[in-house]
Amino acid sequence: MIEGIGIATLALLALWGAVAGIDLVSVPQFMMSRPLVVGVVAGAIVGDPMAGLRVGVVLELFALDVLPVGAARYPDYGAATIGAVLVVAGGPWVSGVGLGVATGLVIAALGGWTMPVLRRANAAAIAGRLDGLQAGDSATIRALQFAGLARDALRSGLLVVVAISAALLIRYLQPLGDEAALALTVAVIGAGLASALAGAMRTAGRSVRVRWLMAGLATGLAVVLAW
Amino acid sequence: MADGGPGDGSCGGSRMVRGLGSAFTRLFAVQASWNYERMLGIGMGYAAEPLLREMKSTDAPRHADAVRRSAEFFNCHPYLAGLALGATVAAEYAGEPEDRIQRLRTALCGTLGALGDHLFWAGLLPAMMGMALIAAVLWDPWWGLGLFLVGYNGCRVVVGWWGLRTGLAGGMRVGQAIATSWIPRARFVVGLAAGFMVGLAVPLVGRFQLADLPGAAAVVAIAVAVLGLGLAYRFGPTFRGVRYGLFVVGVVLLYYGIMP
Repeated sequence: MIEGIGIATLALLALWGAVAGIDLVSVPQFMMSRPLVVGVVAGAIVGDPMAGLRVGVVLELFALDVLPVGAARYPDYGAATIGAVLVVAGGPWVSGVGLGVATGLVIAALGGWTMPVLRRANAAAIAGRLDGLQAGDSATIRALQFAGLARDALRSGLLVVVAISAALLIRYLQPLGDEAALALTVAVIGAGLASALAGAMRTAGRSVRVRWLMAGLATGLAVVLAW
Repeated sequence: MADGGPGDGSCGGSRMVRGLGSAFTRLFAVQASWNYERMLGIGMGYAAEPLLREMKSTDAPRHADAVRRSAEFFNCHPYLAGLALGATVAAEYAGEPEDRIQRLRTALCGTLGALGDHLFWAGLLPAMMGMALIAAVLWDPWWGLGLFLVGYNGCRVVVGWWGLRTGLAGGMRVGQAIATSWIPRARFVVGLAAGFMVGLAVPLVGRFQLADLPGAAAVVAIAVAVLGLGLAYRFGPTFRGVRYGLFVVGVVLLYYGIMP
């Protein structure tokens, strides 16, 4: 077992990751699946809240790039953040955040790929119960609804198991030297900043919102320079 | 036309009040069986069930048709689905013909989708998350989380409840109720706030992450960010942060793999 992280902690992480995964689309969409939320709570679970915050903040910058609009395929950052925090927890964040976030990005992309699979499975279930739907049978609707929820719970659970397994493997292998790990941390922070700003600029388009974005950016830079 | 339904405002019975609460609760799971064929359809049918229950005892054939219609294709922003749910249920109780109800559902799809995407996904969410990030890195992460979760979900719950009540009251005239409501104005203001808050948060988050790193590291991070923005400008909507993140991770790993 990985030092300092027991079975109970991993089980709690898995549970939290599954809850976050279901929250992403199915129920209740309270934004518990946002990387900042998942990261800070996961950090508290593993006893390293600062690791959770560092990882959660960087992955949140990436998440701000994507609007979870309708049928769009968007990354699932819930399980991804769990895996990322687990990679970093207990070690120096400077050398851990890069590898953690890199792991998180891969899991998030994988999670995004699972969404169309889930949606096609839901559609197949509906196709199998068209008679009940045509008859206006409420029980059929309830059954389809709960089955969809169960499928998403299964999807989220499997994804978080993959994320935790990948994180434990990376912790065990420790594949990067100090210099490469630092370079990776720097690179993902830079890419995260670009993602958040690119997303904000895309959303703003050429509307008056661009000026407000620039005003916020200028204010933030002024605060940082005056620090 | 049938009387006594929610649309004409005469439904004050405890059964319907319970149905309203139940329908509102079920709207939180409106996307639980999201699929490419009916999109929100099954979730809408599930949420409509408590509101339509009363019709079962008064007009059973109409009830079966209404339940069938409620689960057909529908798509809109999930937080504003209550507006459409309330309006269509009111139309069912008012005895509107099927084609009018279908047209209402079709019209609400695009309208509520666009409004909700702008108001929540592109407005309230980034605005509140920008605030949360700033609070988390400057103050305390738990306060940041609390601010975000309570503020965002408070707004979402209030809007959801307002939507369901407005839909029930508006029925077929819900479009007018939406157009004259606070939503279009709020959408504009929240959008500006979102732009400002994300713009403000990015440098502060950057400082939080880079302050403890060597000076050269900050320069490299800024260079990576500038390159990313250049690519975003060049490739427009096809630029995705995750792809760029994976790209820079690949470059770093390749570099250190070749030159360990």
